[in-house]
Amino acid sequence: MIEVSGLTKRYGGFTAVRDLSLAVQPGEVLGLVGPNGAGKTSTLRCLAGIIPATAGNVRIAGRDICTDPVAAKRALAFFPDEPRLFDYLTIRQHLNFVARIYGVADHEAIAGPLLEELEIADKADQLPGELSRGMKQKLAIACGLLHRPSVMFFDEPLTGLDPLGIRRMKDSILKRAREGAAVILSSHLLHLLQEVCSHVLILKKGEKIAHGTLSEISAQFANGESGVSLEEIFIRATGGSEH
Amino acid sequence: MLGALLYLRLTSLKNQLISRAKRLRQLKYLLGALVGGAYVYFLFFRNFGGAPGSRGAARTATTQALAALPSSEALAQTLPLIAAVSALLLLGIVILAWVIPSTTPGLRFTEAETAFLFPAPISRRALINCKLLSSQFSILFTSLFFTLISNRWTFLGGNALTHALGWWFVLSTLNLHFTGAALTLSRLVEGGVSPLRRRLSVLGGLAVVVGLTVAWVWRDLRAPDVEDFAGVAPFTSYLLGLLDHSVLGALLVPFKFVVGPFLAPDARTFLLSLAPALLVMVAHYSWILRMETSFEEASLAAAEKRSARLVSVREGKSVFASARTHARPSPFYLSSSGRPELAFLWKNLLSTATYFNLRVLATAAAIILVGSKWFLSGTTPDIRAARVVVGMISLTAGAYVLLLGPHLARQDLRGDMPHADILKTYPLRGWELLLGQILTPVAILTGLTWLCLLAAALTLQPTGRMAFPLTPSVRWLIALGIAALTPFVGALQLLILNGATIIFPAWFQSLRAVGPGGGIELMGQRLIFVFGQFIVILIALLPASLAAFALIFATQWLIGATAAIALATLVVLVVLAGEVWCALWWLGERFDRLDVSSELRP
Repeated sequence: MIEVSGLTKRYGGFTAVRDLSLAVQPGEVLGLVGPNGAGKTSTLRCLAGIIPATAGNVRIAGRDICTDPVAAKRALAFFPDEPRLFDYLTIRQHLNFVARIYGVADHEAIAGPLLEELEIADKADQLPGELSRGMKQKLAIACGLLHRPSVMFFDEPLTGLDPLGIRRMKDSILKRAREGAAVILSSHLLHLLQEVCSHVLILKKGEKIAHGTLSEISAQFANGESGVSLEEIFIRATGGSEH
Repeated sequence: MLGALLYLRLTSLKNQLISRAKRLRQLKYLLGALVGGAYVYFLFFRNFGGAPGSRGAARTATTQALAALPSSEALAQTLPLIAAVSALLLLGIVILAWVIPSTTPGLRFTEAETAFLFPAPISRRALINCKLLSSQFSILFTSLFFTLISNRWTFLGGNALTHALGWWFVLSTLNLHFTGAALTLSRLVEGGVSPLRRRLSVLGGLAVVVGLTVAWVWRDLRAPDVEDFAGVAPFTSYLLGLLDHSVLGALLVPFKFVVGPFLAPDARTFLLSLAPALLVMVAHYSWILRMETSFEEASLAAAEKRSARLVSVREGKSVFASARTHARPSPFYLSSSGRPELAFLWKNLLSTATYFNLRVLATAAAIILVGSKWFLSGTTPDIRAARVVVGMISLTAGAYVLLLGPHLARQDLRGDMPHADILKTYPLRGWELLLGQILTPVAILTGLTWLCLLAAALTLQPTGRMAFPLTPSVRWLIALGIAALTPFVGALQLLILNGATIIFPAWFQSLRAVGPGGGIELMGQRLIFVFGQFIVILIALLPASLAAFALIFATQWLIGATAAIALATLVVLVVLAGEVWCALWWLGERFDRLDVSSELRP
């Protein structure tokens, strides 16, 4: 569902992502982790077609994001860490706009239950300025889910959410994965990886250090010790520093 | 405390200057600085120190133009009147400070200042002093800037130093008054006085003053007659009589003290004017220190509001735009299927003022039609002259809307650039997105231009020699032709501005800087942009204009003027539509390749 081979992203002389390859199958949730500046956001943005890759291939639902971007983008949804909303559109108007962009024919039938699930149905006629940070995040999620994407990218999805919001977000990601979506999320929160991700990919300085299931990664960096925490594994894998 | 404040200000200033100097290594800032510097030089310093006659014809023309003006002596006679009018102006500004301010008045601190200074062990008085002192930095800069402007007002007498100090007195006193007013209003709010009641009280007091003045004029002063307008001296004398006596005259006294140093024509008068001006300042300062009121909460709210406004401006929105608090109904029904470009039209129309809709457009057109019918029925010379004036004003307004409107109607990619990463996830080609984005400003500008054209076409009825070529049918054909071309010319202009955002995103990003991040280099960048846009639109319109002129010239003898104009309009339409399509396609490709993460960093 998500196939990446040899992905490289350079900004001038600086290489943010180097020769990255990965694949995420339907139902899988891949956690992208790494220290600050490891290239997580650049990777997600290249995969979502927001920024052009310098080299490599990215296929979303069988479509190349570079040569057939419109078809590839119809299948994906990108959720940034900060909800980017239009100040002058209400929740309902946001969904109406997105429905037209993606050509979602029965959007009202989908939007109703979606807003109920995200618990913002009673705010449907309010502007983003009247919503709390968490509710804005929920609206951004509703907009992303409206066209029933088969591929989802989450950049730090738990930023700014309260404990209940965090639980709901985790449940929502798992629900979509169970329904057959391929999901990649980047996060610094290791407990999120433990609870949500089926696979983990560790990046450092734009390069893949480790990739596999949680148990495979644990085995790789535990050095034969038992009961090593994920935090310890992360520190061992990344060398404990950003540099 | 003051030492810490000075350290903060001076270090910030030093670091700001260093970072400004460093960014000159980037070409965009260097070019901007050169152009901005040249602009400032030619505007303010060109005539400094130059020998008379050294700039040939231009200087001669200027000298001749100045000679045509009243002499310096004659203007000097008006100084008392200038003082009175300046004082009246200051009074007006002061009244506005009491009437206009928001419901949460407070001292203006930045968010960082509120975060560091409010919890610090600093007395309330020290906090106020800190505020007053910190405002002196901007007052000193503004005084110098105003001195550069007022340096040309040679009839005032004085010199650059007295003018600079004079501006400092005016600006500092106004600042003290605004601070005092903010504190007083905070106390009134604490005491439960509503903004409406406060405004009514101020306006009531003003009405009493105006009433007393009118009564005095009615009783003691004769109404102005023809002789009062015979020259500068009688007119000055009459106005002075009005402003120098009565309640108004007494009210203006402290304001005249404040403008005294600036208007002092010589050193002696300047020195004599210092004491009264200082007295007013000291009175204000003691007023501020005596105000026992808590301003912290209001200041926090004001700092947050200002910060939000700064963020809004950096996101490409108008500095005058306030955050909308009420949702608007949809401008039209947007179904889930159909061209996606219409979704952008729908979305961007929601971001505009409520009166940009078809109903208002139709109503305005109806008013113009009815009004012009009444206008056309009049045959007196006055009505005919008024018709020409209205027609010319409408025509000029239409040209302004078409040429300058695209800079103001920013409901397009320029406003949405902060959302560029989300826009790029949409399953749309670049040209589709760009076309959708410009539809709203094109619709608004076209509507407004059409209204102006309608008014011009109905009221401009040339007589005499122009009556034959510009027959009614030709006039209407020209109007219809321009109306048909309007959306395409508007689209071209908007594509140039949106294209600049796509092609030079880093320039666009830096131009959003406001406040201390701005400067001469950004002013230069803006000038380069405006000049570039002017050149590009001229080049874009050249092929269509040449084709139109050639066609009309070649065919009007064969098929008549009306048919030639119609044919030329059709050809111009095709050329412009082709240009719009090419620009859309090319800029769309550029948008598809735009690397938002690397290029949108300022």
